[in-house]
Amino acid sequence: MISVPSFISSPADAPRSGRHAGLPPRAGVGLKPQHIPDILDERPDLGFFEVHAENYLVAGGPLHADLTCIAERYPLSIHGVGLSIGGEDPLDRDHLHALRDLLDRYRPAMFSEHLAWSSHGGVFWNDLLPVPYDLCTLNRVCAHIDQAQEALGRRILLENPATYIEFAGSTLSETDFIGELVARTGCGLLLDVNNAYVSCTNHGRDVHAYLAALPLGQVGEIHLAGFHRETDSVGDPLLIDDHGSAVDAAVWSLYAWTLERIGPQPTLIEWDNAVPDFARLFAEAARAQTCLTRADAGREVAA
Amino acid sequence: MTTTANQTVTAAALALALGTALTIAAVPAGAAENGAKEKCYGVALKGKNDCAAGPGTSCAGTSTKDYQGSAWKLVPKDSCVTTASPTSPTGHGQLAAFKDKS
Amino acid sequence: MSGQTDWCAALLDPARTVPAGLVTWNGSDPVQRFAVYRNNVTVSLMGAIADTFPVCQALLGAARFRALARAFVRDQPPRSPVLARYGAGFADFVAASHLADDWPCLPDLARLELACLDALHAGDAEPMDPATLAAVMAGPERLPALRLRLHPSLAALDSRYAVVSIWAAHQGDETPANIDPDVPESAWVLRHDRSVRVLPMAVGDVRFIAALRHGLTLGEAAALAADGADFDLTRCLTVLLREQVLTGIHDPDLRIHP
Repeated sequence: MISVPSFISSPADAPRSGRHAGLPPRAGVGLKPQHIPDILDERPDLGFFEVHAENYLVAGGPLHADLTCIAERYPLSIHGVGLSIGGEDPLDRDHLHALRDLLDRYRPAMFSEHLAWSSHGGVFWNDLLPVPYDLCTLNRVCAHIDQAQEALGRRILLENPATYIEFAGSTLSETDFIGELVARTGCGLLLDVNNAYVSCTNHGRDVHAYLAALPLGQVGEIHLAGFHRETDSVGDPLLIDDHGSAVDAAVWSLYAWTLERIGPQPTLIEWDNAVPDFARLFAEAARAQTCLTRADAGREVAA
Repeated sequence: MTTTANQTVTAAALALALGTALTIAAVPAGAAENGAKEKCYGVALKGKNDCAAGPGTSCAGTSTKDYQGSAWKLVPKDSCVTTASPTSPTGHGQLAAFKDKS
Repeated sequence: MSGQTDWCAALLDPARTVPAGLVTWNGSDPVQRFAVYRNNVTVSLMGAIADTFPVCQALLGAARFRALARAFVRDQPPRSPVLARYGAGFADFVAASHLADDWPCLPDLARLELACLDALHAGDAEPMDPATLAAVMAGPERLPALRLRLHPSLAALDSRYAVVSIWAAHQGDETPANIDPDVPESAWVLRHDRSVRVLPMAVGDVRFIAALRHGLTLGEAAALAADGADFDLTRCLTVLLREQVLTGIHDPDLRIHP
């Protein structure tokens, strides 16, 4: 049916990092229901699968049956898209409980969420909306992370956002804001290299300087994805983080640059819109795995 | 007998129905009594033993632009054919072109 | 007013001014930048509605459905971060709209499509052991007082319109037959072996499930269903068994059969 090349290393002999006992520092992909027959047939050599938590907060049925099958065979990462950690409203306690139950059921190697808000006044907006970077917001986000880590009984990773606009009221840089909340709460960083590229392009920043200013020592996972290119009203590029295509060459280059600095990290290919067939998605993961393998070899030479 | 007239069905009638049902249900389903109208939902029809996931949450943005249309206005009712139509699977004819005011 | 309250007001209404205090690095128009968020919210939620109501969409055509979905999203944005049931109010919204004048079957069709989604995600339950049923048959005098436990996915609907046929005509690739939309139809919706099925049933069959769901005994439910309605007890029991949606029997005088 589909032909998938084998990675050089198998899960059993994959390099282990003591700091991230959870996910192996290998390439993984987002789990899509339409790919599951191929995955169960082919047993592709992947480091992990990731799912969006909220898609699995249903009582039963084939989604859970399939995820159970996958979780028996692969490490699992659960990625929340609805906790609204950046929200001005208190966290939704029912939602936290539902997440806790989901984590108890699947015992994923990793749970992550976003530096963003998505609920306010009882309405869920289904988008990751930006927060201003000021002390008031920092205190609130830290309190929410503390509450989430307490309720979920684990350290979580927080993802740097893709943003399209900035706040005049921000008094901190995004990197200082993230560095501070990681330091205060002990959470880790989910470094989305595509988001970094998208945001830095959209706001005219130097992406290498941006990455270097992040708490890279606390990275527990990396995300890679494709973006959509538009133009703003003065003709500068406006990139949309649409996860609808292959990873851009510029993002691959930043990824390699990042791995040189922090070594191999669990790396997810996100492809959520215009989802290709599994072989194409796997090929993208294989490319990330090649970068990881090279970074690991580079480390050994250096050591 | 524990039945009361008009409020419950007799034990004998239930026993007959259940006994028949057990017998029929034990036969491998071929041309089931529901016939050709019985349909499965979602991608199972496309020959994949897969689920059609419901609306999903995603952390991706979208590049499809469709947020500006505000008022929605329908053509007058009398322009619609509501009798059975051999050309429409729905039995309802098509409304005239819809105008999206944006 | 807080910042996020301002955002919320502006997100779903493109006619509103964008929140104050938004800046761009190059002096480009913040309205265009904010439009990315407006677009993400509206399009993603419209997509969720389109995913749940594909037959309604096929019936109305893409442009008309999009306008309807956009109006619904603005009227009733989701209240929960779990979107699996988003659109629960869609049928009533359609019924209250002008569309219902021209497409009277549309609200019930939407209810049927939502029932399919609910059945897909309903809780899991093991079917009843046939040996237990055989034991039940050994004491037939107890049958009227038994209560049947049904699979969480099982739902029953009826309509004044031919929504089951219309729905079915949009599932396969066979040429749809000419359907008279004004013929009342009923259905059971259930999940069996991973798949959601829509089974054409009679009005009394729907009433039978409703009565069992309300906790009536088998004898009471069968009597209620048969009262002046088309009802076939044998067919109902056969489908419950064959589709494995009978998950238990409760005998109040003896014991609970798992």
